[in-house]
Amino acid sequence: MEGPSSRAPAAKDRALLPARRDSCGDGESDSARDIKTHFRVCRFIMDTGVKLGMRSVPVATACVLYHRFFEHVNMHSYEPYLVAMSCVYLAGKVEEQHMRTRDIINVSHRYFNSGSAPLECDKEFWDLRDSVVQCELLILRQLNFHVSIEHPHKYLLHYLFSVKSLVNRHAWSRTPVAETSWALLRDCYHGAMCIRHIPQHIAIATLYLAINSYGVELPAGEKEWWQVLCEDVTQADIDAVISDLLQLYDMEAKCI
Amino acid sequence: MDRELLRQCLAYHGESLFNKLKCEQTENPDFQAVVSDLCKATYESRSGGHDNPLVEQFIARKADILFCPAWKTATHQEEEHEEEEDAAEPYAIMPPVELFMEVSYEERRAMLYRDLERGDTVVGRINNIREYGFFLTLLCTAGGLKRDIEDLELSALCHIREIPSTGSHDDPLSYYQIGDFIRAAVKDIDRYQEKITVSLHKASLSPSMEQIKLGVVPREELPIHYSRSVRASADSSETYECILASCHGYHNPSVVDYLLEKVGVSDTHPPSMMRGLQSKLFQEEDFASVIRKKQSSSWALKCVRAGVDHFKHGRHVEAMNEYNKALDIDTNNVEALVARGALYANKGSIMKAITDFELALENCPDHRNAKKYLCQTLVERGKQLEEQEKLVTAEGLYRRALSLDDLNPEAQEALHKITDTIQKSIRLREEALAKEQVKATSSQTSAEKLRKILKEEKRMKKKRKRSTSSSSSTSSRRNSSSSSSSSSSRRRSKKKKKKRRRSERGSKRHSRISSRESSRRSEEGKSEKDRKEEEEDEVEWYPAPPNTSATFLNQKGGPVFGERDEEEVEQKDAEERRISQLYSLSAASDDEESDYSRRERKKKDIEEGKRGKNERHSRDKSRERWKEDNRKDRRDSESNRRSSLDENRKRKVSCSSADSEYSRKSSFKSEYLGNSRSASKHLDGRVRRDSSKRNSFDGGRYENRGQEEIWDVEEAKRDKDRKGTVEEESSRSEGGNCKQSEGAGNHKQSGLTSVPGGRPKKDLPSNLLDIFNQIAQFEKEKGSKKYNIYF
Repeated sequence: MEGPSSRAPAAKDRALLPARRDSCGDGESDSARDIKTHFRVCRFIMDTGVKLGMRSVPVATACVLYHRFFEHVNMHSYEPYLVAMSCVYLAGKVEEQHMRTRDIINVSHRYFNSGSAPLECDKEFWDLRDSVVQCELLILRQLNFHVSIEHPHKYLLHYLFSVKSLVNRHAWSRTPVAETSWALLRDCYHGAMCIRHIPQHIAIATLYLAINSYGVELPAGEKEWWQVLCEDVTQADIDAVISDLLQLYDMEAKCI
Repeated sequence: MDRELLRQCLAYHGESLFNKLKCEQTENPDFQAVVSDLCKATYESRSGGHDNPLVEQFIARKADILFCPAWKTATHQEEEHEEEEDAAEPYAIMPPVELFMEVSYEERRAMLYRDLERGDTVVGRINNIREYGFFLTLLCTAGGLKRDIEDLELSALCHIREIPSTGSHDDPLSYYQIGDFIRAAVKDIDRYQEKITVSLHKASLSPSMEQIKLGVVPREELPIHYSRSVRASADSSETYECILASCHGYHNPSVVDYLLEKVGVSDTHPPSMMRGLQSKLFQEEDFASVIRKKQSSSWALKCVRAGVDHFKHGRHVEAMNEYNKALDIDTNNVEALVARGALYANKGSIMKAITDFELALENCPDHRNAKKYLCQTLVERGKQLEEQEKLVTAEGLYRRALSLDDLNPEAQEALHKITDTIQKSIRLREEALAKEQVKATSSQTSAEKLRKILKEEKRMKKKRKRSTSSSSSTSSRRNSSSSSSSSSSRRRSKKKKKKRRRSERGSKRHSRISSRESSRRSEEGKSEKDRKEEEEDEVEWYPAPPNTSATFLNQKGGPVFGERDEEEVEQKDAEERRISQLYSLSAASDDEESDYSRRERKKKDIEEGKRGKNERHSRDKSRERWKEDNRKDRRDSESNRRSSLDENRKRKVSCSSADSEYSRKSSFKSEYLGNSRSASKHLDGRVRRDSSKRNSFDGGRYENRGQEEIWDVEEAKRDKDRKGTVEEESSRSEGGNCKQSEGAGNHKQSGLTSVPGGRPKKDLPSNLLDIFNQIAQFEKEKGSKKYNIYF
């Protein structure tokens, strides 16, 4: 069976979705521009995810699917926002939190045309829906149907409980380490770093940064707490993740 | 900004962060508010030199988020109930991390003394029992705090006072042996002396852990984290990662959701350090559910518009399809419901229309069209019901319509009309009841008259014998008509449709009456007419007992029993009488001809009857409708009255045409029996409700009827050799008859007249039941008393 043409969804969708807001200067390299585009698209996924009521894990899956997809293909061949919509749709299926295409299209439409009335139930709508579904197939084929992803989320939560026991309960309860680390973890999906680092490292790094940010002091033993949680993690790994993550925060100011 | 948290952070990161903060948060008024406070202290970096300037930069930039009090969403939860979780293990319960971190003995000991609090639970092994208590070597902590303390050689005393004594046993300590595992609550910690005392009393537990059982625990029930840490310390290859991966709970597919909830982080409004993803930036109307709702309603409206267009062009099926589609898209779309309701109403499916309008109003209580249409449809439905004689339901609908739109003229008019009709029908029923007793009393009072009548009859028969030719022809004619009617009625009685039968018979009877009347009038003498008249008079014109009609008409206070003002009653009961006249059409007309000395009341009746003639047609119709009302009690009273009428008529006939053949009489009787059968069937139905009263009442009537039949037969026999004895015979039987009915009638009368105490509400037919009950009551209470007064 002939898969969906690689061009077709992009071409079709470009007419419907507004022009991408990449207004980067010519001086910038292509890769830098791509990273910014990906950041925006991931922001779109996160934004859409919140509006769709998606949980963190499906959103993370959608982002990972998106990043993996563009890992191998030239991003100019496809409309990234359409891919993102399809990723959200696919992630819903993968993570057992099914999203309806109609909702995805509605929310996306409103994202691009803020304050606009909902779409009519006309040909435009059905075309858009078809492209989302077609693109979903495209993603699946591109990823060779490897769509189950291990996320740092459950590591982070288990680590949180372990670390919590090290700290005085009153000190812990007044320090929002859990919220901060969770936010950091969610935010790290803005960039391709979420597929570059292994989940445990990301989990440890976000927890590390959160603990560090509040100056929470943990007892020191022969090993650091993060060494215990993951055998092969090094300070350099953590620093690398943190550095990537902090770059994303810097990028937000530049991109949005 | 959380000052304490910021101070903690600054104490950790040192001066450089403070400078960055001052630089980054210049525009943050919250920070400016606390900055002077923070300036006082000097900060030395305690982070060991490898401070990442980027991290500090990050902290400084995001300080407004990080140190915002609202950032902390997790509410302080009391320690969870480990015991419950241990069994299911929804997440991986890990051994304490310090075990793997190899934290030094002193630090761990210090940490424990720092963090252990009164009310915590600990698990230990008894190592020494003294007379004042026993000593535990602490193995692990239970509850929220997970610490590796086995090798800390912590000892805790459990004083004998802290051991719950079990009844008469004098030494609670004898229950415990060295080596037992004990779960105990920390009663006190002396952090300086490093002494821990524990208790086995529940009261010493912190409130959130009340359900934890204290005392001896078997080895298998030791906390999971302890057993895992024992295994991990025994085998150095068991790393944190290995244990985590081997845990059952780790593979729980919903472990993230579970733990996130436990941690207290919201996943629907997730936290983010990104400026653009702050929760406050999300507008409610951008959320999928809101858009979907809006979209659905707009799509549905589009369909409704198309449907209305179809409807306007008369394509009702297409219109209905569009409306249904609209409702598929948006269930409970108000416009679609109203439109579909209107279509239903147009198509005559009034019930469906009402359902739709009601649903529409439920969703939008102020929808004007829905209100208007529902009002109209309710009136429509009410009219339908009225035609089906469901007056009360119809009235309810009119009232509802008015409650929706109290200015709706149609509904007002309809309600007005129906209230009248209902009142009328109530009165009719009253009349029927009254008639029952009147009949009884009349038979009693007319005993003498009857004697006279019988005499008259004898005279007549002698006369008739003389002129056989004419009388025989008439009698035969009469005979045939009556037999045909009786046979037809018998046939009909087999049918289930009582309503139909009744109405037919009614018309039949009318014709019969008229034929009979005419024949009588032409042939039988004046006396016959008189007698009949009188009987009818007794039956029909005996004024209704005061309270039944009076209460419903809301007239002046109920007249005193026995002192009834005939005039007043006549005026009041004019309407009723007119209606009841319909049952004896002949009576009114005959009255004019007869020269019997009429009572004053009667004259009025005739006038009424004359006046009523114009209205008679419409009235008749309404009466027919009323007859067909399927309400059981009405039917009962109706049938009662019918049967009583028939009885009267029959009696009349049997009296007047005494010379007719026995066979004829038997045919009458059979008709009669059929009639009474049907009546009794109805009556049976309602025996449940007011059995005692009805039973006695009906019993009286039945016997009455039975007597009459006997009397009929006797009469027929005696016809041949009519002597003076006949008079006696008939009077005797009549007297018995009277006595029988007297009882019933008297009860009835007394009951009705003594009702005023518990005056039922006006206009409510349902109150009739109450009246019956009251009658029954009074019958018991005052029956005998009234008896004396009355007779």
